[in-house]
Amino acid sequence: MTSRIGGVHARLLRVDLGDAPDAGWVEPLPDDLFRHAIGGIGLASRLLLDLCPPGADPLGPHNPLIFAASPFAGTGITTSSKIAVAARSPQTGLIGDSLSSSYLALELKRTGHDALAVTGIAPAWSVLVIEDGATSLRPADALLGFSPRETADRLRAELGTGYRVAAIGPAGERGVRYAAIANDGRLAGRTGAGAVMGAKRLKAIAVRGSRLPPAADPRGVAALARDLAARSLGPATAKYRDIGTVANVAFFNRLGLLPTRNFGAGSFAAAEALSGETLRLEHHAGQHACAACTVGCEHHYGARDGGPPLTTRLEYETLFALGSLCGVGDPNVVLRASALCDDLGMDAISAGGTIAWAMECRERGVDLGVPEEEIPRWGDGPALLRSLHQIGFREGLGDLLAEGSRAASARVGQGSEAWAMHVKGLELPGYDPRKLKTLALGLAVAARGACHNRSSAYDVDLSDRLDPAADARARAAAAAAAEDQAALLDSLTLCKFLRHAIADVHDEGAALHRAVTGLPTTPADLAAAAAHITETKKRVNLAHGWTRALDTLPPRLLEPNGHDSALTPAWLDRQIAAYYAVRGWDPDGRPDAKSPSPFAKGEGLG
Amino acid sequence: MTHSPNASPVTPSPNHPITLRVELFGVPRLLAGERTLLASGETLGELAADLAKRHPILAGRVLDPESGWPLDGYSFVVAERFTRDPSHPLREGTTVLLVASAAGG
Repeated sequence: MTSRIGGVHARLLRVDLGDAPDAGWVEPLPDDLFRHAIGGIGLASRLLLDLCPPGADPLGPHNPLIFAASPFAGTGITTSSKIAVAARSPQTGLIGDSLSSSYLALELKRTGHDALAVTGIAPAWSVLVIEDGATSLRPADALLGFSPRETADRLRAELGTGYRVAAIGPAGERGVRYAAIANDGRLAGRTGAGAVMGAKRLKAIAVRGSRLPPAADPRGVAALARDLAARSLGPATAKYRDIGTVANVAFFNRLGLLPTRNFGAGSFAAAEALSGETLRLEHHAGQHACAACTVGCEHHYGARDGGPPLTTRLEYETLFALGSLCGVGDPNVVLRASALCDDLGMDAISAGGTIAWAMECRERGVDLGVPEEEIPRWGDGPALLRSLHQIGFREGLGDLLAEGSRAASARVGQGSEAWAMHVKGLELPGYDPRKLKTLALGLAVAARGACHNRSSAYDVDLSDRLDPAADARARAAAAAAAEDQAALLDSLTLCKFLRHAIADVHDEGAALHRAVTGLPTTPADLAAAAAHITETKKRVNLAHGWTRALDTLPPRLLEPNGHDSALTPAWLDRQIAAYYAVRGWDPDGRPDAKSPSPFAKGEGLG
Repeated sequence: MTHSPNASPVTPSPNHPITLRVELFGVPRLLAGERTLLASGETLGELAADLAKRHPILAGRVLDPESGWPLDGYSFVVAERFTRDPSHPLREGTTVLLVASAAGG
């Protein structure tokens, strides 16, 4: 079957692990899906809306684990080889979606499919092997307990060359609520897709294929791709190329934006030791690029503490979560903690956020059901490493912390909910919303919870685009625009680090989309698609019990702090009401049931 | 106070009577090898031009070689506010930050 749209096969591969798992089947994907959901996160979200029964147990057989590429993947457009992963999140109970740069996206498309949806539960621990149109299951008992990287290495040695592997680590095997799925050393990290995969007794997915779909206008794509690649090497991305995302530390610390000791402060006395500039000078060990990327933002650093040799990648979010958030100022400890999260296969932001909650519990004398000395204290590096290991294997206190800060605080009580720093169950990223008010709104209303990648509204606050005294309507419009831009980039699967190298994402995105797909896409079409994707995520949440009360911020962020500019519950309510109005949703935050999305639910899907 | 190896003497010119401390972050800091530099100007545009003149190592990579204004991807922060307005007035004692515009992590 050949698609009428360039860059796609228009085919969804489905596998049910509990029902003839060797017999995957294909369902056609309608053309409109690629107009309105585009690909990547948009496609995965739409498939989740269609395939996940309302209220399905996130760890049960009916929750689909979805992988989706985009029309751009495989075209040579820089940064576009990204795979979206979606499922109902076991961490939030709402939409779970992640985006990971990976050769997996290319290889999945080479099998003749744009997306994969896995349902059911395998009768025993298994590896799903997909080679072109054939699917099969292999026993995975011998792989249990291995890190994702070791799992992939062993599988490739067993299966042969050319396979790309997505795997879980011990955390996913044990249902850690924020377990990740790793591929090529990158993680689909947030919202617990690794736990969903583990619940299906699926240790890994190995993919190999042989045919990419042609673009509608290959020469046009090549010309546009060359131009974008050239700009990707300019000053707008120098920060990422020359230092990496860890460059945020010193600057954020200077402005009081660096979350410290569980958001107890916005600056950290040891920040200079953790800064990107210091890491670059004293720990840098190499630089890598994701699949099909010209930017090369992934920097690796070596531990210099006399311990076992270690070189690992490090990103700002990991650095803040395992560093300042826990009061840890030793970069060697943070590097070892980051590597441990990767080896265990779990989201470092939620791991750090939940450990920081436990550290505050210790400071306040809260009983966590274990001897006090087993609870980590602020700044205790060895205890941080021990806690991470315990979480990954659900040992001791780790069994509680593996539930995430929301569930752990609900179980423990004693007022500890007040310092559980999450939105909708997802721990906050490394930006203090008390000084970034557009982001504060963005985090409160974001469908997947407190996520800087889905909101991106910090971009507004850290610019001169919006007056700090802007009214609620203007701030809401800015937050919605930032959210939609993120949805668009995540669905085109273009890296957000390119956004300052692109004059107008809608203009350039439409030009690329026309060349790849052959559709007459306009900038307005992409703007409409982005809003549609945001609404699709909201509809997923509505199917799983979202209520207005979930659009909020942790109580700590809404406490008086002696400044006139402090966030307050009343201020947040005004911003949220304005946001709903900008979206055209009713006062309870619900899209109008009378104007359904342009892609009718269920069309073309089984 | 620190100076980059290529810095000119810090002598306020008659046209640029205000000398300010510019804090560097990220790539500018690595290039200059310093955390702070001095430059003069009554507006941000004048300050940027003087910064580029005194510290040529920033020109081309961070600052426009002709105007001294930050290239796309860089911005000033004045009194905790981001600004790319060259006419932004400066006062004695004001701290200026030179940072990457992109804050993605």
